[in-house]
Amino acid sequence: MRSLKDVNATGLRLTLGHLYPDQLNLYGDRGNILTLRQRCQRRGIELRVVGLGIGDALAPDEYDMLFIGGGQDKEQAPVAQDLHDTKGIGLWAAIEDDMPVLVVCGGYQLLAHYYRPAEGPDMRGLGVFDAWTIHKGSHVPRCIGDIAISWNNSTLVGFENHGGRTYLGTAKPLGKVLKGHGNNSEDHTEGAIYRNAYGTYLHGSLLPKNPHFADHLIALALRRTYGMNSLPDENSNGFRPSTGAADLKPLDDILEWEAHASLLERMRLYNEAAAAMHMPI
Amino acid sequence: MRKQRPFRPEQRDVRVTRWRGSDVNRKQSSAIPAGDRNWRGTKRRLISLRAGVAVIGGRAAGALSRRLHLGGGTTIAGIVAQHLYPGIVSHLAGQLEHGSIMVTGTNGKTTTSGFIAAILRDAGLRVWHNREGSNLMSGVASSLVIRALPNGNLRGKGRAISILEIDEAVMPQAVQTIPPRVAVFTNLFRDQLDRYGEVDTVAARWRGAVESLSASTTLVLNADDPTIAYLGELSTGQVMYFGIDDPTVDLAVQGSASERHQVIDTRTCPRCGSEYTYTLRLYSHMGHYHCANCGLVRPQPDIRAINIHSEGFDRTRVRVATSTIEHDVVVPLPGLYNVYNTLAAIAVAQALHINWDPIVTGVEQFKPAFGRGERVQVEGRNVRLMLAKNPTGFNEVLRTLFSSGTQLHVLFVLNDNVADGRDVSWIWDIDFEWVVQQTAGLVVAGSRARDLALRLKYAGVEQQDMTIVPPAPLRVVKREVAGNRMKQVAKVRLPSLTDAKVNTLEHEERAAAPHPYGIAEALNTAVHQTPVGETLFIVPTYTGLLEIHQELERRGLTPHYWEG
Repeated sequence: MRSLKDVNATGLRLTLGHLYPDQLNLYGDRGNILTLRQRCQRRGIELRVVGLGIGDALAPDEYDMLFIGGGQDKEQAPVAQDLHDTKGIGLWAAIEDDMPVLVVCGGYQLLAHYYRPAEGPDMRGLGVFDAWTIHKGSHVPRCIGDIAISWNNSTLVGFENHGGRTYLGTAKPLGKVLKGHGNNSEDHTEGAIYRNAYGTYLHGSLLPKNPHFADHLIALALRRTYGMNSLPDENSNGFRPSTGAADLKPLDDILEWEAHASLLERMRLYNEAAAAMHMPI
Repeated sequence: MRKQRPFRPEQRDVRVTRWRGSDVNRKQSSAIPAGDRNWRGTKRRLISLRAGVAVIGGRAAGALSRRLHLGGGTTIAGIVAQHLYPGIVSHLAGQLEHGSIMVTGTNGKTTTSGFIAAILRDAGLRVWHNREGSNLMSGVASSLVIRALPNGNLRGKGRAISILEIDEAVMPQAVQTIPPRVAVFTNLFRDQLDRYGEVDTVAARWRGAVESLSASTTLVLNADDPTIAYLGELSTGQVMYFGIDDPTVDLAVQGSASERHQVIDTRTCPRCGSEYTYTLRLYSHMGHYHCANCGLVRPQPDIRAINIHSEGFDRTRVRVATSTIEHDVVVPLPGLYNVYNTLAAIAVAQALHINWDPIVTGVEQFKPAFGRGERVQVEGRNVRLMLAKNPTGFNEVLRTLFSSGTQLHVLFVLNDNVADGRDVSWIWDIDFEWVVQQTAGLVVAGSRARDLALRLKYAGVEQQDMTIVPPAPLRVVKREVAGNRMKQVAKVRLPSLTDAKVNTLEHEERAAAPHPYGIAEALNTAVHQTPVGETLFIVPTYTGLLEIHQELERRGLTPHYWEG
């Protein structure tokens, strides 16, 4: 935990480790990074983004958040190898130490036990989530389309496009599918959670249209790194007393919630859309 | 009813075919037993009859569809004809004297086809071109069916050559149905992942298509795109490469551009899978590359652009070199991507042994294709339509528009219909940072206008600098709710935050203003934001372009695109 004296001298600073930015970047993952950075920036927090490619070591102490995106099948194999050989221990340590980690699509599959392709040998995952993914062959249609799930008394919206079906063991799902396929289009679960690691199939990008989820990740990072549940008030030098839930400065999120609600309305989830427009920040 | 149908043309056709059939029989009579001979004659007659029926049925369906305003009738004719006779396409295409040229690739199909058509027309050939957007097999079939006679024969097939724009995914099927004389592959970028699958899937399909080609097909390939150039290694026939050899257009020497995000869809060597290195970067993964691991290197192009010089927005002077000759060609379109399109067309012309005069005049007199730099006058404003279908295409349009540094009037239309791609994730890979503080007027429209507005916001565009015109209001009275929400937050939770209050006020004011909705209003807003005499650039996705076109047609400003 960093000392508060440092904070006052240099301002709040977080470091995001973006794993495999060159290999896993298929589904607008840049939007997730951009959203985290700007939502920090607008609150006076500096978010530094460090790309970690194949062969780069992952030292958990150097980061406050981690992100892995989705990629093509061809690029997934060397990434799986690198996760095992190079970054696995660091990533495990970070997750066990409650670091907020977001993994989308291919990254999500790689953090489960294994990915079983229609042909060929299994691709071993890291086993962070007690879950596994099976590709049932090209005759089974891919899970493609808009998706909405319930999360934390609210909704998350996005787009999904995955051939593999993910089945959860003891892993807790991220949310319940309201419209769309989710993990496997059978059991209405979507994504997985382990400590502060979140796996999901939602892209589109995920974070821009789900500002509450982006803020949740930022708040987790602030709490973990600086031990703060709320941001310092602008008019005082000290911190306001913690009130439980992280209390980030609200932003003008009208465009964000309009995009969120319009997607819900397109899926005919009108009540959810109305609720989204009343979302507390 | 049935008796009243004019069957005469077909009866005439049957007679013709019978004569032809006997002709064939005469030639082969020594080799073929008599029973088989009769069977062949009957089969040929049947094929002709079926082709005739298919042509009539298809053309009737197309006419009906146009009459009922169901659409341009550009695909229905082909669908019906193929249904009536699945072999109709190869039957008709086989009659073309000069065969077929196929053009495929993620970007540049239409413009490249247009350049080829312009050159070949100038060279005195009768050029047939499949219609806009209908680049699936049904569209190819339509383009042939609407030019066929009811006897199953093509009209004016002498001196004829067809230029077929083929959808990436359909290419393997297309080359099997119509073995092309020349097959052009322009480039391979990420496009509509939900429809085509990943880039690698498309590449694998193309490799299969190229392997199935006979040695009589000439391949025209982009040397600067590693995946495309690699197809040349699989070909048994002649291969012609085109590429850019002008080091001044390197991304690295273009200052700030090198810092910009580049969508790179192919990073690894198509032969061995290791990462390759560049000595010259043009855009995305286009450039001069080599693989340090297996030694794969960019092939030396046969048609090279050795000097590219922009002469204003619409004119690019390109010095084109072959192994023997150099020529200046003026491309009447902006952007590096159109230099590639021109080079591809010149390579095709070279493959067909067409001399330079029609090449130079054909390119210079080229009229921009549907939505690809197309010009329209709207209420005294010059409107330019710049279709952008995928991250790289969009990035290159933005680079072309905004690299001049002047402030522009722009209308973006983002739709998420099947033809656009249902997934709009790709907008996050586009460099909308180009747009920041570079617009004098900015309107955002389309079924996913709100997503695009959000993208622009995160690029750094101020909300007051853009007008958002979605197709319809949200059911929730959002701005009121949002305003109240901000007020509530400001009051209850964080009394000290004055900026939240300011926001609330702003939004209440905004909520009071009337909000336009729909594509017609988007066009109105954008046009009226543009001073008379100035240019409005409309950058739509594919169905956005169709909607804009329909709206312009409704106002009598453009011809129906399926006519002519």
